[in-house]
Amino acid sequence: MTTTLTERYIAQAVKGLPPETQNDVRAELEASIADAIEAQLEQGEEHGDAERAVLTELGDPGALAAGYIDRPLQLVGPKYYLTWWRLLKLLLWIVIPCVVGAVALGLAISEASFGEIIGQSIAAGIAAFVHLCFWVTLVFAILERTGADTGAEWDVDQLPEPQSTGTGRADLIATLIFLGITVGALLWDYFIGFIRVDGEALSLMNPSLWPAWMTVLFVIFAIDIVLAIAIFVKGRWTTAFAVVNTALAVSFASWGLTLLGREQLVNPEWLDFVFLQNGVGEEVLRILAVLLGFGIAGFSLWSIIDGWLKRRKDALR
Amino acid sequence: MSEEFETHLQELRRGTVVLACLQLLRTAGYGYGLLEALEQRGFATDANTLYPLLRRLEKQGYLTSEWNTAETRPRKFYRTSPDGQRLADTLTEEWASLTGAIASLTDDTTSTEEH
Repeated sequence: MTTTLTERYIAQAVKGLPPETQNDVRAELEASIADAIEAQLEQGEEHGDAERAVLTELGDPGALAAGYIDRPLQLVGPKYYLTWWRLLKLLLWIVIPCVVGAVALGLAISEASFGEIIGQSIAAGIAAFVHLCFWVTLVFAILERTGADTGAEWDVDQLPEPQSTGTGRADLIATLIFLGITVGALLWDYFIGFIRVDGEALSLMNPSLWPAWMTVLFVIFAIDIVLAIAIFVKGRWTTAFAVVNTALAVSFASWGLTLLGREQLVNPEWLDFVFLQNGVGEEVLRILAVLLGFGIAGFSLWSIIDGWLKRRKDALR
Repeated sequence: MSEEFETHLQELRRGTVVLACLQLLRTAGYGYGLLEALEQRGFATDANTLYPLLRRLEKQGYLTSEWNTAETRPRKFYRTSPDGQRLADTLTEEWASLTGAIASLTDDTTSTEEH
């Protein structure tokens, strides 16, 4: 049993059509192709060549079938593309850092090795990326085919406002107040004490940090203040400011993480008094230490990124 | 015609095939015959565009169809429905007004150049 090219072509073209239209389209295509071949034969072509030419002219049967059932030949068309792209970017920015952070935190609490934490976090980040891209695109591909409305219409309120980038007076004041309160709290903690036991201050911070380590911290704070004033005076972030800001954030992070790692940051007597004597186990303290470490690292990392983002924005102005 | 203009020309021609079909099918016609008629009248169309288009127009109610089995080769004949005739009239009017509008554009350009 031999099938002609035409039969194979038509079978391929009607395959994806709704069953009720298949026979009709098949019969119509048979007639149309036969007509076209006949016309070629009248011009003296051989049958085989004529058939080939006609079918080639008709093109990919898949595309023809798509024309019959009005199916889009793109995954996500212009109607949804921008909504898709904006949503995907937004989700990637939110979800991946959260997933990576959560995995790293979980592993750190369960005392995984440093290499394992890095490796697993990256793997989780990549997995989250792939999943997000796939599922978001799938939803939009389905929308494209069902013609549903995403309800996301652009309006003028979405235009981004020109963002003030920490060059304003408010940011300088915020920095000063924040650092002032921190320094005040540290001094109060050491000299007067938030908790007093038998008339003596029981400080939260390890007293052995005074004076050397605390001096380092206060120097970092002092440079922070100078930087904030400099940015306020200059009115814009420059590369130099961003570099200094990065150096400060790294210094602060290494100060905190080094002391935390050596278990020298917090006063052991304070921990004993507040936690251990109240039945809170070592395990909980360790978890708290890990959380604190992540907090310090995260805060510093954000400060670095924030500085460079502001520099970039100001460079564009 | 040079290739860089091709996409623009296609954009401009899009839609004229629908109008041409509706006008030609005021007298009934079948797929391949219509393809040839379009070609002769200067509306060169690909077969793989025309055949699905005929079905779409039929589904939208602008064409009616009927199988003619009297001849040796059974063929599906299409004819413009009353709705299709109204659509054809509207499109023709639009085309005429566009022709006028485009003519006025070129008139304006020449008069500007004269200044």
